[in-house]
Amino acid sequence: MKWLLFAARNVLRNRRRSLVTVLIGTVGTAAILVGGGFALFTYQSLEELSARDSGHLILAHHDYFDREEDVPMQFGLEHFERLRQEIERDERVRRALPRLQMSGLISNGEKSLVFIGTGIDPEEFDLKGPFLNVVAGSTLSRRPAADQPAEVLLGRELAKQLQAQPGTFITLLTTTTEGSLNALDVIVRGVIALGVPEIDKRIVLVHLPTAQQLLATDKVSTLSVYLRETAMTSAMKAELGARLPDYAIHTWLDEAFFYVAVRELYNRIFGLLGVIIVVIVVFAVANTLAMAVVERTREIGTLRALGTLPGQIKQSFALEGLIIGIASAVFGMLLAAAISMFLLLTGFEMPPPPGRSNGYPLYVNVSATLYAATSLVVALLSMLAAWWVSRRAARQPIVEALAHV
Amino acid sequence: MATREFEVLDEAEASSSASPLLVLRNVAKSYWTGKIPVRALRSVSLALQPGEFVALAGPSGSGKSTLLNICGLLDRPDSGEHYFMQQDVGRLNDRRLTVLRREHIGFVFQGFNLVPVMSVHDNVEFPLWLGAGSARERRQRVHETLRSVGLEELAKRRPDELSGGQRQRVAIARALVKRPQLVIADEPTANLDTATANQIIDLMHELGQRQGTTFLIATHDVRMTSRCERVLRIEDGELR
Repeated sequence: MKWLLFAARNVLRNRRRSLVTVLIGTVGTAAILVGGGFALFTYQSLEELSARDSGHLILAHHDYFDREEDVPMQFGLEHFERLRQEIERDERVRRALPRLQMSGLISNGEKSLVFIGTGIDPEEFDLKGPFLNVVAGSTLSRRPAADQPAEVLLGRELAKQLQAQPGTFITLLTTTTEGSLNALDVIVRGVIALGVPEIDKRIVLVHLPTAQQLLATDKVSTLSVYLRETAMTSAMKAELGARLPDYAIHTWLDEAFFYVAVRELYNRIFGLLGVIIVVIVVFAVANTLAMAVVERTREIGTLRALGTLPGQIKQSFALEGLIIGIASAVFGMLLAAAISMFLLLTGFEMPPPPGRSNGYPLYVNVSATLYAATSLVVALLSMLAAWWVSRRAARQPIVEALAHV
Repeated sequence: MATREFEVLDEAEASSSASPLLVLRNVAKSYWTGKIPVRALRSVSLALQPGEFVALAGPSGSGKSTLLNICGLLDRPDSGEHYFMQQDVGRLNDRRLTVLRREHIGFVFQGFNLVPVMSVHDNVEFPLWLGAGSARERRQRVHETLRSVGLEELAKRRPDELSGGQRQRVAIARALVKRPQLVIADEPTANLDTATANQIIDLMHELGQRQGTTFLIATHDVRMTSRCERVLRIEDGELR
């Protein structure tokens, strides 16, 4: 305690210099926390987006993910309703929803384009929550009337190319599981935007029975299992894998190529920036303490003459570094939290990332783990830097130190 | 020359029946200033008895500070024997030397060398921090020592709020607070006016006698040498 008090007094000895060092540390800490918080927000958003898009787990025929189908639905799931009920018995599962993937041509009578479609259960729209962007019309009906034409949702770019809008009739043309062509007139129920122009040019969503009718099958491609908590994904995969060994199971992460790419990119960018900032902070602390060491050489000699061990001299300087580091970390956390709050209240938008058409809000997560880890690193490295520069002072012969002018 | 040095040693050793506190035999020390070697001490021998008040006089560059540094265990001789409290200093490592200094040697510097960020109380208490005593014992000891140098009322002040004489009293209190066997004082009155210097000399003498502490004081000051029991004169690195 005495040494800590002594170190604190020494930090306050040259207040302006210590203040500048703490300011550098504060800005550095805040920069790491804001950058890291933004990366965490991005990861969290993409994780949620990916999981809600594909389902936390995707259950399929054991060859579905590894082999190409010779004919449509060759590797489809039969008797999926029984499987669905069995999976949904688990309390950790919110829903297990079937999907049927297909592709074909879509035509407005004058123009035909390639589409990539999915037959879905309309409950998916509830599960997608805020990640579904309906730009015109509405989502598919919950209970489509048998006497009404089948409904379709089109991607924004596809609707634009077909000059379609809600209420427009168009035709879907696919190849059935038998290899013959099948066509169905459908009515546009709404237009959606997924934010990726290449997908919005091709995507078509229809009711599952509509897709089955088009492909002349009663199978589905996959069951998307939505869990109550994303964190349960791995455990549930292992459990379901053991219970249903005849099926292949992928997690949302296996399908989230964009998420993985962004995460790798951001980890490198923010990791490198973080290292650079930490190095700057450490240099600032080391420089301040190195100046203090030179200025206090004679005093160090006196303390050594009075019986202070070299280790105690180093400890004293290390405590000074720790105090500067802790002050930098505390003020840095406050500054970062204030910036996060400011961004939350003002709602700044980031421009669309490459390959995307939608921007996204610039939010910065306030993560206790990130704050604790960053503070710890800043404080400990400041202490280490101070310890490092004090070694010379501690090693210097006492007589030389006492004669220092 | 060696004969005269051994006479100094023999006189001192003979003057007391007790074991000498400090013994130097044929101690030599050289150092370099740039590329020029300087022989600071040439075969110096001396003995200091417990409770002695000894002055070390000599012109600038005569080797006073080097001898003080060696006696205060701040430096090691190049050759010769060095005993402190019957321990062969040459055989002790730096850590053990530090502990010996901490426990048994006090220092009074010409420039006071007080720690500016500490109060008078804390400056005096500092040597006790390094030891094992409780906070209560330390406070008590500091209180007594400050009272003995007449600075009890100024305990909370910082060194820069004190006069030169007051600062030197704080330095003396710091040197004596742990009741050392030996106090090394390097020109303790050099920066003080006559009246203050006399007070400081009286104080050191009185406290030294009261505590039975040996004082080795490097000085040019005749007032100081006249009050010492023994005066060692050094010239060109040799005791005369």
